[in-house]
Amino acid sequence: MDSTTQGLTILIILFTMVTSIVVTQFIRRRRDLFLLREIPAYTALPMMVGQTIEANRPAHVSWGSAGLGGANTLLTLASAELFYQVAERASIGAVPPILTVSDPTALPLGQDTLRRAYRSRGLLKQYRGSSVRWYPSGPRSLAFAAALTATLGDDHVGMNVFVGSFGAELALVAEAAVRHDQPIIAASDQLEGQAVALAMSDHWLIGEEIFTAGAYLEGTPAQVASLVTQDVLRFLLILVILIPTALAVIDTIRGG
Amino acid sequence: MSRLGAAFTTALVIVVGIMTVLGLAVGEGLGNLSFIVQTQGLPVITDLFLQVVVITIASTIIIGIINLLSVHVSRITQRKGGWVYSVILVVSALAVIVITLLERAGILTGRPSLSAILLETVQVSIESALAGLVLFALVYGAFRLMRRRVTWWAMLFTLILIILLLGALPLPAVNGLASIRNWLLAVPVSAGARGILLGIALATVVAGVRILIGQDRSYRE
Repeated sequence: MDSTTQGLTILIILFTMVTSIVVTQFIRRRRDLFLLREIPAYTALPMMVGQTIEANRPAHVSWGSAGLGGANTLLTLASAELFYQVAERASIGAVPPILTVSDPTALPLGQDTLRRAYRSRGLLKQYRGSSVRWYPSGPRSLAFAAALTATLGDDHVGMNVFVGSFGAELALVAEAAVRHDQPIIAASDQLEGQAVALAMSDHWLIGEEIFTAGAYLEGTPAQVASLVTQDVLRFLLILVILIPTALAVIDTIRGG
Repeated sequence: MSRLGAAFTTALVIVVGIMTVLGLAVGEGLGNLSFIVQTQGLPVITDLFLQVVVITIASTIIIGIINLLSVHVSRITQRKGGWVYSVILVVSALAVIVITLLERAGILTGRPSLSAILLETVQVSIESALAGLVLFALVYGAFRLMRRRVTWWAMLFTLILIILLLGALPLPAVNGLASIRNWLLAVPVSAGARGILLGIALATVVAGVRILIGQDRSYRE
């Protein structure tokens, strides 16, 4: 990493830190300061979980190959937040929610997230660590996809949330879910997986929307502040792209 | 007491996180700032933290295997749906573990090794067959998109899919489509992909900072 990149990295981290802290304080004082735009997947999710509980079936969440320690560590933590929101709602049902992962580093995180979801409802005695399952991925994640395909049928899953790191193999799993008439919410950090999510799911999340589950489904000041910080950074990035482009166009027109 | 414990672990995580970020981002190449960080020994501590992470990650594979076997053994004992497949899985997993241990101990010495033969003949061939099925699942996805609701976006999606598929054919009759395909991949697809990746990158930075300043859920409970 050269010194310019280092300097920029530190600057971005510091700016994000300060904005997060300041915006959190603003939102603590005035909760209605920022209005969130509607994301259909988050609007539909509580209803889907409710219907799954009514049908006495398990809610199924999968993180794909997302795991801790690699490039998608923070994606895994964001997926864990979404799983918490699903598990916290589904924990009152008779059938425990299921989490499937293909990276073993995600297993302890998944079990801890599920345990906290049960504890938040005062139902810690009903927590079962075996609700979080690891299926080895193989060279192309297809073995994992095959395992999920079987799980959807064998466990009579009521709904699916595929949010994490998936490739084109998501199509196999989604096709199995459609065959069993199970609703799907999907998103992936891989472009092939995202394309499949768009085509085959009932509701999808795109890009940074994966990271906003807490803000939409719980809405604590810190969670909303992180969303606002994302928007601030996004607008700054747009300016950083647009201003040099506009200057280059003006320069070309004047030169021509 | 549990609150005190949570506060302690939160403080510990924040301190370790900030030290690691400083060690990695400021450790070298920033003149006097890097010198100060180096004299405090932060790069050495950062390396130590990263080594601990690598060892911890390597050990999680054991947790994974225990989880896999315990989940499927419980399916067998409770006679849950598909328990026969669980029997096959448990027997296969144990057999491969035993074969690998025997190979490592020098008792099974065939070349190529039995575990490599099993991997090549069973797993790779099954995964290749599944890869072939992905194509049909994708075509079904496009069909489902149109069947669910015919909107302008769904029609555009299907039209572009057809152009991309036809444009990939090595036929002189579709040369014109090939150039449209190349433009689609180079301009709108590339731009859209970059937009999505930039969004994920920004959200990643914000999520990382949230963890660094102790705003994550795991610190609150």
